[in-house]
Amino acid sequence: MRALLLVLALVLMASPVQAERVVSSVSNTTVLISSSFDGETLTMFGNIEPELGTGQPAKGPYHVVIVVEGPLSDRVTRLKTNNFGIWMNTVQVQFNAMPTYFHVLSDAKLKEITTPVVIAEEKLRPEYQAQAAIETGWWDSVVFANQTVRLLTEKGAFAVREDGVQFLSNTFYSAQLTLPANVPNGAFVARTYVFKDGQIIARKSDGFSVRKSGFERFVGQSANQYPLLYGLVCVALALFTGWLGGVVFKR
Amino acid sequence: MQIYLPIAELSMNVFFLVGIGGAVGFLSGLFGVGGGFLLTPLLIFTGVPSPVAVASVTGQVVAASTSGALSYYRRGGIDLHLAMYLILASTLGAIAGVFSFSLLRSLGQLDLFISVSYLVLLGSMGTIMLIEAVRAIMKTRSGVVVRERMPHQHTWMHGLPMRVRFKKSRLYISVLPVLAIGVCIGFIGSLLGIGGGFILVPALVYLLRVPGSVVIGTSLLQVVAMMAVTTVLHAVQSQSVDILLAFCLMVGGTVGAQFGASAGQYLRGEQLRALLALLVLAVAIRFGLSLILPPSDIFSTALLGPGGAL
Repeated sequence: MRALLLVLALVLMASPVQAERVVSSVSNTTVLISSSFDGETLTMFGNIEPELGTGQPAKGPYHVVIVVEGPLSDRVTRLKTNNFGIWMNTVQVQFNAMPTYFHVLSDAKLKEITTPVVIAEEKLRPEYQAQAAIETGWWDSVVFANQTVRLLTEKGAFAVREDGVQFLSNTFYSAQLTLPANVPNGAFVARTYVFKDGQIIARKSDGFSVRKSGFERFVGQSANQYPLLYGLVCVALALFTGWLGGVVFKR
Repeated sequence: MQIYLPIAELSMNVFFLVGIGGAVGFLSGLFGVGGGFLLTPLLIFTGVPSPVAVASVTGQVVAASTSGALSYYRRGGIDLHLAMYLILASTLGAIAGVFSFSLLRSLGQLDLFISVSYLVLLGSMGTIMLIEAVRAIMKTRSGVVVRERMPHQHTWMHGLPMRVRFKKSRLYISVLPVLAIGVCIGFIGSLLGIGGGFILVPALVYLLRVPGSVVIGTSLLQVVAMMAVTTVLHAVQSQSVDILLAFCLMVGGTVGAQFGASAGQYLRGEQLRALLALLVLAVAIRFGLSLILPPSDIFSTALLGPGGAL
């Protein structure tokens, strides 16, 4: 009962400020990976509406930033240095629970949409995600976080696309995102932020998952859950293939 | 045609995979080696995460060596007694190798270790093989008859205890060097994703004086058994064996090996050995350069945990 009152109080407190809300969706709630999977394009769309009961029509101009974040994973970034003529990894910095996939889509330049403080607070750039996942000192976090973001951007796992969101009317927007063939498997979240005059006036999260289907799912699960049996099946397959090759070609 | 590899979590062209499997299989049939030392680096270059490449190639080596081992077995070209000792020892070596693999990976030194090992191993083996082959070619040119069987020289190895009689190889030697060779091959093979046939054959010939009639067959059987154990160990320890990747490579490899074997009949033994030596040296030089030349990017990043990229 008390919790309900608290929620009610919060809603009442919040309602005068947040006069708008965003209704959003993702075209696929699950991206299934089958044997011929070669990436998939998702569409994220939504409409900015006045909060129920306020009655006034939604007025722009609005800006929309969509952050698509993949499953979290621990990561390590290493630096090679030359020691006595041999290049080897000498420094390594660990990142804990960092997104494996992080794309930022917006309809205008982030710095035009809002202030650097808000960008940093909401971690709207990959660099802030990387810095937050790091444990070691300030210098490492700046150098290694930036380098990690650069490497992941080159791989296509991280990106900032400041023309990724299109407004079809004053309030209706859509955005397209192409997941690459090597997209990490797991739970994804698309967070939509609506900005007006540099402030976040509405936000919403939509989840979708990327997972293997059919045979690929079966193989992935077998490898994780029955590793011994899986290994034995691999060996049996190899022995059979080798034997068959010998029989077919009669050496 | 793209095929999605469920463990590597990326999609690759199936014809490309069967193609490189076939090309390497051709070479392995031609030279009588497993071909892992070519296939693993090739896969790593094309973007397969190294743990997946190493683990899946072990499966392909099993397939590539099976047909060869079977045909030698039918012809009676295998010393089962000697092979049993080697297999036992190399299984122990493989267990140590798979655990070192995980350890080196977490330390971030796996790629350095792989490069240095390839450089040292392939470099020294390639050089020795090349010198030996060139000498043999020179001798045949000048008309000297090359003796097939090594004379019964007694080395320090014959003074070791625990001697065992290997009937088929006509040897009465201590098991200690046999076991030592087995452990080394198992350790190196599981770490580097290679069968180690190109190290084992010379070791058996020059160190143990195993006769030529049984050396290849025995080595092939030992490679099949050891790589089978290593595949299971990798599957259990790092869950990085990609059965689809391995299967594509196997299909190409088995077919390619047959053509390689028939092509090999048109070349003389020492010419084959010289070519193999050059190939081995080329791979060694490639790894050497990667150590000395400045890398294109001094930073690298990788996921941690099972199946993570190097």
